[in-house]
Amino acid sequence: MWRDRRSNKHQLHPLSTQVVFPEQVMSLSLMTATAEQAATERGQGRNTLARFARPALGLILPLGLAAIWELAVRAGFSTGRLVPPPSVIFATFAELARTGELERHATATLARVGAGFGLGVVAGTVLGALTGYSGLVHRLVDPTLQALRAIPSIAWVPLFILWLGIFEASKITLIAVGVFFPVYLGVMGAVVSVDRKIVEVGRVFRLSGFAMVRRILLPAVMPAYVIALRSGLGLGWMFVVAAEFMGASEGLGFLLVDGQQLGKPAQIVAAIVAFAVLGKLTDWIIVAVATPFLRWEDAFARR
Amino acid sequence: MLALDNVGKTYPNGVRALDGVTISVSPGEIVAIVGGSGCGKSTMLRVVSGLDQPSQGRVVLDGERIMSPHEKIGIVFQEPRLLPWLSVADNVGFGLADCPNDERRERVGRQVDRVGLADKARVWPRELSGGQAQRVALARALVTRPEVLLLDEPFSALDAFTRVDLQDHLLDLWADGKPTLLVVTHDVDESIVLADRVLVMRPRPGRIYEEIVTDLPRPRDRQSAAFDFAKRRVLAALDRSLDRSAVTDDGETRASTGAAMWW
Repeated sequence: MWRDRRSNKHQLHPLSTQVVFPEQVMSLSLMTATAEQAATERGQGRNTLARFARPALGLILPLGLAAIWELAVRAGFSTGRLVPPPSVIFATFAELARTGELERHATATLARVGAGFGLGVVAGTVLGALTGYSGLVHRLVDPTLQALRAIPSIAWVPLFILWLGIFEASKITLIAVGVFFPVYLGVMGAVVSVDRKIVEVGRVFRLSGFAMVRRILLPAVMPAYVIALRSGLGLGWMFVVAAEFMGASEGLGFLLVDGQQLGKPAQIVAAIVAFAVLGKLTDWIIVAVATPFLRWEDAFARR
Repeated sequence: MLALDNVGKTYPNGVRALDGVTISVSPGEIVAIVGGSGCGKSTMLRVVSGLDQPSQGRVVLDGERIMSPHEKIGIVFQEPRLLPWLSVADNVGFGLADCPNDERRERVGRQVDRVGLADKARVWPRELSGGQAQRVALARALVTRPEVLLLDEPFSALDAFTRVDLQDHLLDLWADGKPTLLVVTHDVDESIVLADRVLVMRPRPGRIYEEIVTDLPRPRDRQSAAFDFAKRRVLAALDRSLDRSAVTDDGETRASTGAAMWW
């Protein structure tokens, strides 16, 4: 449906261009008719064009800036030593990929995020569901967790290193802590705010505790849960950098530190690009997995 | 046989929503409960459904005391309360989870057809109009073949045309299995169209004030003189039940806060 609306908007474009030419001044209805006719003639091609052209609009600014910078360096306005031009970044990226370095570092980082995210999500989901479901657990546990949440998670780093050593365990724990809180808050808030009227429907049909969770609460919190997972994942990517800054021999965070210490800005930007790609990709995976479960949503903006 | 024996309900904040309600309803009978706002009619329905417990007295269905929701008792609320993540058919079949798949599909299909929404069986609830959604709620409550169906102002959120339409539709569905119907309403016309017996309730505390036996042949003609006469009797009883002289301002305020608790 929305696609039709979009194409309608596009059909207006020929009209506005025609108005510009004085020799084409004619009655409004005739003008519209011409425009519509033109639009139908090109209708099919325009639809496909519109579908790809719209998202492409967002690319104009970054690609334009990159092109300008590339030209500036080529023309000799800048050496591009501290701010490498796109071609150099691309070359560095390709080189890292060719030698297998990129894969090694990306895999290490992905493994850390994966493990930390997994632990954080499990803990956050279980505790969030319990505190949301039971008033007693909420009163027992929530104040402590809220107090812990107030601590900037990076503040734990020294303690985690003392307790867990400088290798994987302390890094994964830090990431898990970062992921835990948004997931916990999201799940708890969602469970608490499930509509009492819907829960009553479950009670009328005599659902047991477990069936109530599975058939009423779980689907009801699903939309909020997906958002909690996505923000948790975002924090996971944030904390993996912090974790890798505190001493790592591999990982994209290591590439950043290494690039700074050896004065290789192109490597830093290449690592940043890798973060962007991986972050976007993993977020997209969550959305893609969740979408089939959320088709029922009656929301303001349905994608 | 559904019986309420001296049922009372006092909310934790001290509001006496229901006091000494004793009625018995025979199988297949349709009873309407009318009364002013805050007279405890919805509270009574919730107590009968087992969603709320009475503070005194007891609700008995076929010799069994009702303390929690019971499989023989279905309820339709003022809002459809459909589960938005289930299709229309799955909503209707919600209470049949224990049925074998084939039987469930068969019964759901028949019930959806019966409420005239066969073409909507696979859509999400968000695509239904208010009247259609309430039909689905009716189907969901009826598909389990309850002995007693409770309806809490089931059509009050609908426009006048849809309401009349659904009243007739409800009677049509009732004829299938002749369950006992207990209908809470504040629409006097609705009570006369549907009920064999109209109970008028009186607020503060909520209790049965008057009983009017409609005694009209079915199907009922909304334009007939007999209909009008029954309607006037109910309206007169309602007027008496709300005898303003007995009510202080203070009492009015207290009752309205009580009502707000569950509305």
